[in-house]
Amino acid sequence: MTARTNRLGRSALTGLTWLVALLFVFPVIWMVVTSFKHEVDAATDPPTFAFAPTLEQFTTILDRGFLPYLANSAFVTVLSTALVLLLGVPAAYALSLAPVKQTSNALGFFLSTKMLPIVAAIIPLYIISQNLGMLDNVWALIVLYAGMNLPLAVWMMRSFFLEVPTEMIEAARVDGAKLPTVLYRVILPVVAPGIAATALICVIFSWTEFFYAVNLTAAQAGTVPVFLVGFITSEGLFWAQLSAAALLASLPVMIVGWIAQNHLVRGLSMGAVK
Amino acid sequence: MTALIEAPQSSEPPATRTRTQARSAAWKRRAPLLPALLFTIAVTQVPFLVTVFYSFQSWNMVRPGSQHFVGFDNYVDVFTDSVFLQALGNTVTITVVCVLVAMLLGLGLALLLDRKFLGRGIVRTLLITPFLILPAAGALLWKTTMFDPSYGLLNWAFGIEVEWLSDYPLAAVMTQIVWQWTPFMMLLILAGLQAQSREVLEAAQVDGAGRWRTFVSITLPQLSRYLQLAVLLGAIYIVNSFDAIYLMTQGGPGTASTNLPYYIYQRAFEGFDVGQSSAMGVVVVAMTLIVATFALRLMFRAFDVSRGVK
Amino acid sequence: MAQVAYAGASRVYPGAHSVRAVDGLDLCIGDGEFLVLVGPSGSGKSTALRMAAGLEDVDEGSISIGDRDVTHLPPKDRDIAMVFQSYALYPHMSVRENMAFSLKLRGMSKSEVNAKVEEAAELLDLTKYLDRKPKALSGGQRQRVAMGRAIVREPSVFLMDEPLSNLDAKLRVETRANIAALQRRLGTTTIYVTHDQVEAMTMGDRVAVLRDGVLQQCASPRELYDTPRNVFVAGFIGSPAMNLLTLPVDGDGVKLGELKVQLPVRVEPGEVTVGIRPETLSLVGAAEDGFELQVELVEELGADAYVHGTLAGHADKIVVRADGRTPPRLGEAVRVAVRDTGEVHVFDPESGLRIGAE
Ligand SMILES: Nc1ncnc2c1ncn2[C@@H]1O[C@H](COP(=O)(O)OP(=O)(O)O)[C@@H](O)[C@H]1O
Ligand SMILES: [Mg+2]
Repeated sequence: MTARTNRLGRSALTGLTWLVALLFVFPVIWMVVTSFKHEVDAATDPPTFAFAPTLEQFTTILDRGFLPYLANSAFVTVLSTALVLLLGVPAAYALSLAPVKQTSNALGFFLSTKMLPIVAAIIPLYIISQNLGMLDNVWALIVLYAGMNLPLAVWMMRSFFLEVPTEMIEAARVDGAKLPTVLYRVILPVVAPGIAATALICVIFSWTEFFYAVNLTAAQAGTVPVFLVGFITSEGLFWAQLSAAALLASLPVMIVGWIAQNHLVRGLSMGAVK
Repeated sequence: MTALIEAPQSSEPPATRTRTQARSAAWKRRAPLLPALLFTIAVTQVPFLVTVFYSFQSWNMVRPGSQHFVGFDNYVDVFTDSVFLQALGNTVTITVVCVLVAMLLGLGLALLLDRKFLGRGIVRTLLITPFLILPAAGALLWKTTMFDPSYGLLNWAFGIEVEWLSDYPLAAVMTQIVWQWTPFMMLLILAGLQAQSREVLEAAQVDGAGRWRTFVSITLPQLSRYLQLAVLLGAIYIVNSFDAIYLMTQGGPGTASTNLPYYIYQRAFEGFDVGQSSAMGVVVVAMTLIVATFALRLMFRAFDVSRGVK
Repeated sequence: MAQVAYAGASRVYPGAHSVRAVDGLDLCIGDGEFLVLVGPSGSGKSTALRMAAGLEDVDEGSISIGDRDVTHLPPKDRDIAMVFQSYALYPHMSVRENMAFSLKLRGMSKSEVNAKVEEAAELLDLTKYLDRKPKALSGGQRQRVAMGRAIVREPSVFLMDEPLSNLDAKLRVETRANIAALQRRLGTTTIYVTHDQVEAMTMGDRVAVLRDGVLQQCASPRELYDTPRNVFVAGFIGSPAMNLLTLPVDGDGVKLGELKVQLPVRVEPGEVTVGIRPETLSLVGAAEDGFELQVELVEELGADAYVHGTLAGHADKIVVRADGRTPPRLGEAVRVAVRDTGEVHVFDPESGLRIGAE
C-alpha cells in the first residue's frame, strides 16, 4: 500500500461518489431540464437532450393560478410551525430541565400518537370539519399539521434541552437570576439552534404534507400538493408543465433545506451530535 | 400514651399544608406541559375515539339517516375482506422493504460521504434533494419521466420495454419511496459516523483492525442507536405512505399495490362507508400499537429516557 | 524488541499555508529505551509519534522499526501499541473486551486471550473492573485500561501521547512512577510524548526536545540540564526556568549590576547571552560581593522559596532560589551572588547556540 496507489484509490472513490450522487438525483435534474422544454420536446423517444429552452411552462403555471396555492402553503407552514413551537417549547422544558414525575409516560404518549396512522382519524376529522364548516379552510390544516408535528418536535427539543449544562443554570441562579431571566438569557441561547433545527423539520413536513391537504381542502385552501393533483388528473401528458409545476412547488423547501442542511442533520439526529 | 396519640394530631395541619404545597408545586411543574398535552389529545385522541364510535355503526354518507348501531359486524367484515388482508400484506411489505433498503443505501452513501474529498458539500447537497422534493411531485415525476413505458427514461436507458406500473406496481411504488427516504437515512447515519471519536478509530487501526474489521467491530456498534432511530422514524412515516400510491398506481392494477391508508381512503371517500372504514382504522391502530410498544421500548433504550428524570 | 529510527522524516500538512509539522527528524531510539519527546504545544510531538504509528503520512525521509522500513506500512503491520491522550477506549466494550480486542484479531485462542487479559489486569489493578464499560470508570481507571490495552499485546514499541494529561496532579505523579516502573520491567522500547518537562526529566532515559517541528537536542536528562545546546532548550528545561540575560562582554566576564561574573569560557568582545539557573544564585549578606535585586514576588514552596525581582537598571526579571524558612519580604532589596561561576551557561546572542566545548 504505497502512497501512490493510495492516492489513486482515493480519487477513484471520489469519482464513484460523484457518479452515485449524480445518478441518485438524476430524476430531479431531469425535472429541472424538462421544465425548460417545449411540450413537444418533453415526452419523446429517445429523450431529447438538446433543445431550445423556454420559460413558457412557468408562465403557464402562474397563469393557471399557482400563486394562491403557494400562498396557502406558506401561510399554513409558517403558522402551524409557530403553533408547534408555542406549545412544544414549554412542554420540552417540562420534560427535560424541570422534569415532571410522569416524564416517560408523557414522552411515550407523544410518541405513540405519532404511531397512530393518520387514516385512523381522517373520517371524524372530515365529518367534524364538515359540520363546523371548516372544510377547505386553511385554519383546519394549521391545527392538524401542528398536531401532526408536535409529538416529534417535543421529542427533538427535549433532546436539545438536555444538552444545556445544569451548571450553567445553577450558576445563573447563584448569580441571582429569576426563572424567566434564566429561561430567556441562559437556556434560550443554548437551545436556539436546536429549536431552529426542529422548526426546519416541521416546515418540511408541513410543506410536503399530502393526505390531509388532498382530503380536506380544495380550491379555497388548497396547498401546493393539491395544485399538483388537480394538474395531473385533469390533463394528459403535459410533462414539461408538470415538471415546471413540480419544480416551483418544491423550490421553497429545497432552498430552505439546502441552506440549513446542518440544522437538518442536528434535528434528525435529535441533537445527538453537535 | 397520650403523647403518642396527640403527636400526630398536633402535627397534622403542617403536614397537610406541605402536602398541598407539594401538590401545587407539582402542578406548577406540569403547567408548561399541559397545553401541548391537551392539544395533542384534542387533535389526535378525540378523533380516534370518534372513529371507534363510528366503527360500531353502519353508516353510509350518501344515504342520510342510514346510521345505526351494528355492534361488531364491521369488524367481522373487515377480517373477511380479502382486499383488506392484501392491503395489510402490502403495507407490511412496503414498510419493511423500504425501511431496510433505504437504510442500507443510506449507510452506503453516508460511508462514501464520511471523508474529505473535492466537492463534498455539493455532493451532500445533491443527495439530500430527494428528501426536500415534494413527495407528490416526486411520485408524479417517477410515474411519468422515469416509469412511462413509451417515453420513460428507465426503458430507454436499459433498452427494454417494461410496463413498470402495471407489471411491477408495488416495486415501482417502493422505488419512489426508497428514493424519497434514502437521504433521510443517509443524513442520520452520517451524523452518527461523524459523532465517532477519531482517536477510537485510530486505536482500532493500531490494534490491528483493518477497514472492514473496524467498521464491523467499532463503527457499527456505535452507530446502533442512530440506526434504531432511523428505523423507527422511517417506519412511522413509511407505514402511512399514501402519496406515492394515490398518484402512481391508484392502488392498482386491481388492488395489487393497495396499502391500508389507501384502502381506507377508498372506502371512506369513494365508497362513503364510514362504519367499515372506521373499523379498519381501529384495526390498523391496534396492530400499530402492538408493534409500537415494541418499538417504543427500543426508542427508550436508545435514548436513555431516564436521563434528566429525577 | 526493536529500535526505532527516524531518518530525515518530515510531515508537511498540505493546504494554502502548508505546515511543516515535523521537519527532517533524525532520531534513533535504542532497543528497550524510554525516550521522551518534549516541547511546547504545537511543536509537532504528536505528529512525530503518529508518524511512527502509521497514522500520519511520512512525506520525506523514512522510519524503521527493528530492521524493517515501515515508512509505508499501515499501523496494523507495525507491531506497535499506542496510548492516546483521550485514551480512545472502545465505548461499547467492557474493560475485558477492550483489552482482548487486538488479541482476538490476531486469532489467539479464547483461553490464551483470557489468561493474558487477566494477567495485565492484575498488573494494573483492574481485576475488579474487568466487566465494566469505560463510562463507569474513573479517570485513573480509564487511563490504566488504556495502558492495559497496550501491554497485553506485547508489542515491540509503545507509543504514548500525553497519557497523563487528563489526570489530577496527585494521580499524575503516582501514575508517572508506575508507568516508568512498568516500562523498565517489560523492557519495551517506548516513545512518550509530553509537554510537561518534569515528566520528561523524571521518566526518560533520554529526552528529545522539539520546537516548531525541529529537533533541538536529544540527550539524557542530566546532560540536557547541565549542557543545554541552545537558548531554547536552556529556557525550556528546568523549573523555574533559567534566567537568560543578554549583556555586553566586559573583559573575561559580564557585569550583573555591580557584580562582575567570570565566564567559564572564552568569549569575543561584544554581547553574550548568559544563562544562570535560580539555584545557581543565592541570597547573601549586605557586606558580601553581589548585585542588588528589588523583590517583587516571593513563591514559598516549603523547603525552598523563589524570589522574583528586577535587577536595577535592567528590564529583565531574575529568579533566585532562597531558603524556604527565611524568605525576604516583598519590596525589600536583597543582595544576590553567584554560587559557582562554573555553572553559568553562555550562548551566542545571534544564533542562540551554546558557546564553549561540551
Ligand atoms: N491535521 C492537521 N492539519 C494541518 N495542520 C495540523 C494538523 N495537525 C496538526 N497540525 C499542525 O501541526 C503542528 C504540530 O501539531 P502537533 O503534532 O499536534 O503538536 P503537539 O502535539 O506538539 O502539540 C501544529 O502547528 C498544528 O497546528
Ligand atoms: Mg499533541
